[in-house]
Amino acid sequence: MSDEFGEAALKNILVFYEGKRSELIPILQEAQGINGWLPREVMQLIADFLHINEGEVHSVASFYNQFRLMPLGRKMVTVCRGTACHIRGAPQILVDIGQSLRLKEGETSPDLEYTLESVACIGCCALAPVVKVNHKIHGEMTRERAVTLFPKLSE
Amino acid sequence: MSKVTLTIDGLDVEAEKETTILRAALDNDIYIPHLCYHPELSPSGICRLCMVNADGEVVMSCQTPVDQGMVVKTKDPEIDRLRRTSIEILVANHHASCRGCPGSGPCALQKIMAYIRIDRKRVRRLRLPEEDLPKDQSNPYFDYDPNHCVLCNICVQTCEKIQGALHVIGRGIRTQIAFYGNNADCQSCMECVARCPVGALTAKESRSTHG
Repeated sequence: MSDEFGEAALKNILVFYEGKRSELIPILQEAQGINGWLPREVMQLIADFLHINEGEVHSVASFYNQFRLMPLGRKMVTVCRGTACHIRGAPQILVDIGQSLRLKEGETSPDLEYTLESVACIGCCALAPVVKVNHKIHGEMTRERAVTLFPKLSE
Repeated sequence: MSKVTLTIDGLDVEAEKETTILRAALDNDIYIPHLCYHPELSPSGICRLCMVNADGEVVMSCQTPVDQGMVVKTKDPEIDRLRRTSIEILVANHHASCRGCPGSGPCALQKIMAYIRIDRKRVRRLRLPEEDLPKDQSNPYFDYDPNHCVLCNICVQTCEKIQGALHVIGRGIRTQIAFYGNNADCQSCMECVARCPVGALTAKESRSTHG
């Protein structure tokens, strides 16, 4: 049997739980660590383990921003649109990056290379406007520099 | 059970001790606007429309038990001000016109809008949703139209007791009701459709003609 969704890894997580409804959120958090997102198959297994309906798992998972129901790109592009970044041009930078990646906010490219997101505040307002690619912070972003962050695209 | 006497809008009303203000009022043909209340479900207090003034305090009438000698006013300027905002936000997010709506007629929202005299022009000052959301037709027996839904949760609570196939998904402005699971999970009792206070859940065409 193939283990595309990390069923074995999930079972290793579940042995530490008793199967109570109140354990749903911690289980989801750990389960997301396997793939970086929550495939439907994983949520189904969790539902079976807790003896609740799959819809209830989805209901909780879809409520919290931290849970992802779609696969993530390998490069996570996060544009800060906190107050400082906003007044220094974050909205236009978000549009520009979106155009060069051909993505809308919240979308992932079909080849799973990029995910484009915006965030309320990264916490380094002195560097505004800020773009984060995976864990690397690119501060004092300009429209011109923003598009050069993704060299592969211009090849 | 013992009875208590209270005054609602100047009328003396007798009610069972454990009952709520809303129930006592409705039993005596006194209308208090409400969306998420259903006599067979426990009060959820989601819609915030059934607020009344009880002994000088604004309370949700669906969640407040009656008391001996309580004086309830279902209308006063403060309640109107508070409630009007709630209902205007609901109407603004309810991006559907009543014409052609399957819920039109017995619709609870229409009734409330008429009762509170909602000014559609005033509603337009709010930021209206931009797009029409697609209908969910995945259930074999009924359709769900998020554009008409007021998120009262009556269907979810109803199904919870029967099958647990309906759930709330998402959050904030993206909240919707979703049918979950295999088609076999739905027992097609149609109780959710029957209880929907607006036109969000409707029986599939072919089904309704066969009764």
